[in-house]
Amino acid sequence: MSGPPPIEARGLRKVFRQATTGQSVVAIDRLDLTIAPREVVAIVGQTGCGKSTFFDLMIGLEAPTEGTLNIGDKSPFADFDHFRGRIATVFQQDRLLAWRSALDNAKLPLELIGLPEAEQRERALTWLNRLGLGQFTNAYPHELSGGMRQRVAIARAFVVQPDILLADEAFGHLDEVTAAELRETFLQLARECGSTAVLITHQLEEAIGVGDRIVVFGKSAKLLADIHVAQWPKSRYAVLREAIQATLQANSPDPRLKTPEPATG
Amino acid sequence: MSREEVRESAIDLKFPRHTLVSLLVFVVCWEVLSVLAPALGIPPFAIPSFVKIAKSFATITPIDVVVTLARVIGALIVSFLLGVALAMAMYRSESLEKYLHPMIRLLMAVPVVSWILFAVLWFPGVEFRIGFVLVIVCGPVFLIDSLDAMKGVPRELRHMMRSFRPTTFQFFLKLMMPAIVPSIFTSWKVNISLAIRVVTIAELVGAVTGIGHQLSVAQELFSVADVFAWTLVLVALLFLLEAAVARVETRLLRWRV
Repeated sequence: MSGPPPIEARGLRKVFRQATTGQSVVAIDRLDLTIAPREVVAIVGQTGCGKSTFFDLMIGLEAPTEGTLNIGDKSPFADFDHFRGRIATVFQQDRLLAWRSALDNAKLPLELIGLPEAEQRERALTWLNRLGLGQFTNAYPHELSGGMRQRVAIARAFVVQPDILLADEAFGHLDEVTAAELRETFLQLARECGSTAVLITHQLEEAIGVGDRIVVFGKSAKLLADIHVAQWPKSRYAVLREAIQATLQANSPDPRLKTPEPATG
Repeated sequence: MSREEVRESAIDLKFPRHTLVSLLVFVVCWEVLSVLAPALGIPPFAIPSFVKIAKSFATITPIDVVVTLARVIGALIVSFLLGVALAMAMYRSESLEKYLHPMIRLLMAVPVVSWILFAVLWFPGVEFRIGFVLVIVCGPVFLIDSLDAMKGVPRELRHMMRSFRPTTFQFFLKLMMPAIVPSIFTSWKVNISLAIRVVTIAELVGAVTGIGHQLSVAQELFSVADVFAWTLVLVALLFLLEAAVARVETRLLRWRV
């Protein structure tokens, strides 16, 4: 069975020109990064470090200024249509369409890829049921709680069973209990689907709890650290958290990140 | 049911006392004036009694009402389709918007009477003249309102939609059109009122059917009672159309909080 393709950034650079001042802002400066198929990668960094720009480049909504960002051998920007139904996104706010019921929101990506109506409905219902929303399929977004709306947004992402799942601060606005629950669900579903998942977050607990890898971005998406969480025993998570925190504050790698203790058992 | 809901439903069901009182005051004042008119040196035909106005109602010809209604609805549909189609094109193409926007503003600044005169001078057919005037007056309202509404669709929603890679057609069909429906209903309400007024003026010039034509005949006969009756028909028509739009709006926008 062929799995999802790898995501590869080579010498990736993205420069924006500010509309008000006309000055150039380097959002991403020569980033080299490879995300292997089926990996769950958390990208952490401070506000304005280029995380969201990298997210937009992966979606294909922005073109790189220099360098390449490919998924497999195709560019998500240049080969935009190729990735229809292959990349799905979950955003910070649920971004549901207010005029659509939970069911209609969940089946939106299926409508876009032109699946028959009966199949759209069946698949959307399946995913809403899996996410515990079986009783609320006809509810409009304003009739649902924040957590339920985000569940619909997650169902909307998974309904196409995408190769690549991208989540931008997807749980950051929820209360801690709901966020933890949804993170767990998201991770479990991503693994079941065999999708590659990239989560953009500024919450270190979330990154450590979810990611196979944690990629730490400094200013202009400078790669400060690339951490394989499995190499860190759970008992050392507090140290890992402190080290990532120190890395972000200093905008340079903390020495503790280079010498992880081998995982025990 | 909460206290607020009880209060709201009580308001809904309340006897429309204020409306009836104000109407009654108007009727009484009119009737008193019609009795006193000769003593005040006003010709009796200028302020007819309600008995005369009621008699004029009996002479209302339904075909003229239907013709005017058909002209208004037909022109509004054409204006709506043209306005929204152009708004979509202008939303898609920034340069098209830059060129067309000043022209649309210019069209909107031209008085209705000027359009009627242009129509009389340019077009021989009466129906085409009336249709032209209505579309040239109502079309830009649909266009500008739709364009503004499209630009007002939150960036986050456009971003989300694009991330799922819709075709241009799907983008408009699934996101932009439903998102601008509330604004479209507002445009319809504005344009119904506008079209009712414009069609009357347009029908005054050259038409041989319609409420405007009947108003013109009434004016030639110095029949204020007829003018009153036809005007009331126009007002009733406006209220009926607005009520119909409001009903569709409630149904289509039931998703709103």
